[in-house]
Amino acid sequence: MWTFETMMHEPPGWVSAAGPRSDVILSTRVRLARNLEGSSFPNRATDEELVAIRERVLSAMAGSNYLTNALFIRMEEASPATKRVLVERHLASPDFADGGAGRATVVGEKEVVSAMVNEEDHLRLQSIRSGLQPVDAGRLVQRIDCELERNLHYAFASDWGYLTACPTNVGTGIRVSVLAHLLGLARGGRIAQVLGSVSKLGLSVRGFHGEGSAALGGFFQISNQTTLGQSEEDIAYTVERVAGQLAGLELGAREELGRKHGRRLSDEVHRAYDVLSNARMISAEEVMEKASTLRLGVALGLIDEVDLGSVNRLLVVTQPGHLMYVHGGEPTEAQRNGARADLVRNELKSCE
Amino acid sequence: MICEECNEREATIKFAEMTDGELTSWNLCEECAREKGAAASLSSYAGPLVNILMGLLEEAEEHGPEPSGPVCPRCGLSYAEFRSSGKLGCAVCYASFHGELKPLLRRIHGTTEHTGGVPSCREREFDSLKEVKRLQSELGRAIRNEEYERAAELRDRVRAKERELASTAGTDAPGTAGGDGSGEDVDVRDDDA
Repeated sequence: MWTFETMMHEPPGWVSAAGPRSDVILSTRVRLARNLEGSSFPNRATDEELVAIRERVLSAMAGSNYLTNALFIRMEEASPATKRVLVERHLASPDFADGGAGRATVVGEKEVVSAMVNEEDHLRLQSIRSGLQPVDAGRLVQRIDCELERNLHYAFASDWGYLTACPTNVGTGIRVSVLAHLLGLARGGRIAQVLGSVSKLGLSVRGFHGEGSAALGGFFQISNQTTLGQSEEDIAYTVERVAGQLAGLELGAREELGRKHGRRLSDEVHRAYDVLSNARMISAEEVMEKASTLRLGVALGLIDEVDLGSVNRLLVVTQPGHLMYVHGGEPTEAQRNGARADLVRNELKSCE
Repeated sequence: MICEECNEREATIKFAEMTDGELTSWNLCEECAREKGAAASLSSYAGPLVNILMGLLEEAEEHGPEPSGPVCPRCGLSYAEFRSSGKLGCAVCYASFHGELKPLLRRIHGTTEHTGGVPSCREREFDSLKEVKRLQSELGRAIRNEEYERAAELRDRVRAKERELASTAGTDAPGTAGGDGSGEDVDVRDDDA
């Protein structure tokens, strides 16, 4: 049974690493932006209007076949810890979570489908999937959208498509993004060049690089930049194709790294594992750094004590809001670091 | 180097966003990077796109129309307010600022024509509109080629389609509202360009 408690205690479905190319691509997210005709966009609507819009959208969603058992969280009823968990799971944006009246987050089973109501647009419908699945995830959100549209009259213009609060989303209202683990390319010093070419293909790339980038794990996000003038399928397909090629380059870089510095890399991976499985206090950044190294090691077959899913899991459940939820109240940094270390050790123990 | 976010601590990490081959980067301290890291590296909410849009809006301002610009009759948002926030107030704003938004959309998306999905309740209307546009450009061609008989026939077909559209279309189609007359001219010119 999928309940609020299970959602808060279980990691999202996408961490499973069961999707295609999970060795490089952690997750795929596709979202659609929609607004109701005849109502002001959230930034210009009154609190009463926002509440009315929310209830209309929620009642349409309650009738969806894809959202049976979904949780409907009215944000004014959510605790601070709940809000932080939703943000850390990418189910809510930070401003939205802290925002005022009339907002809601909808979370479907295993977080495959979710929605924000009255964020920048009246409805932000999204699907987060494991690995590289832009086309599949895109089809899923479109099917749900078609179903909702029977009960919701969307703002749509024949020339400019679906109308959104920000003109950067107008047209299809679709944003397709993948979260890629590109530590091999980052270590090999080729990341700037590779990402530069990706960005010339009309996709945008975000992440950390340069000195100290290892501390932030070599995670990058690639997404479509434009939403008008192409079909939803074409946009999803482009991201899938480019991210697939990127994954190919990353695998090449990893292989080279393993060939040239096999012993050193293996040492680093096992040390990362030892720190994670023995530390009694650990910060979020250190978990991210060590988990990233460990992830590379698992993907290269240098270590078999853990699997990719467990490493993904660590990255999600060790975030501050998650610890806050489990711990209850506002733990100090030292308490958080202690609780985090306990959690990491338990997670790793359970995979042995 | 000092962190560009807090302006206090030593910057040790570079945060980069790349769009269109152009790299924007910030030098950050670990603490600020951590904050941005949770918010940015693993999430897509904050926006490089918003930054780009604001850049385009500022650019447009330099050779834009009068400072205050038009006002949306439905929600009362002025174009000047949109320029400072980057957000429109309602669907009707798209019609109210049609002339201003068109060049902006072209710069953001490289085009001003939606070719993606259509709500199923609007599919017929959408198809008819496409048909009208097609007939109109054919009509333009016939006139240029001095094929007057064919032009007359095309004109009648355009009118018939438009009448059909007016009777079946929903009460309000924001992007086209109030643009029925002038829209034709714009579209024909677009086809010529």
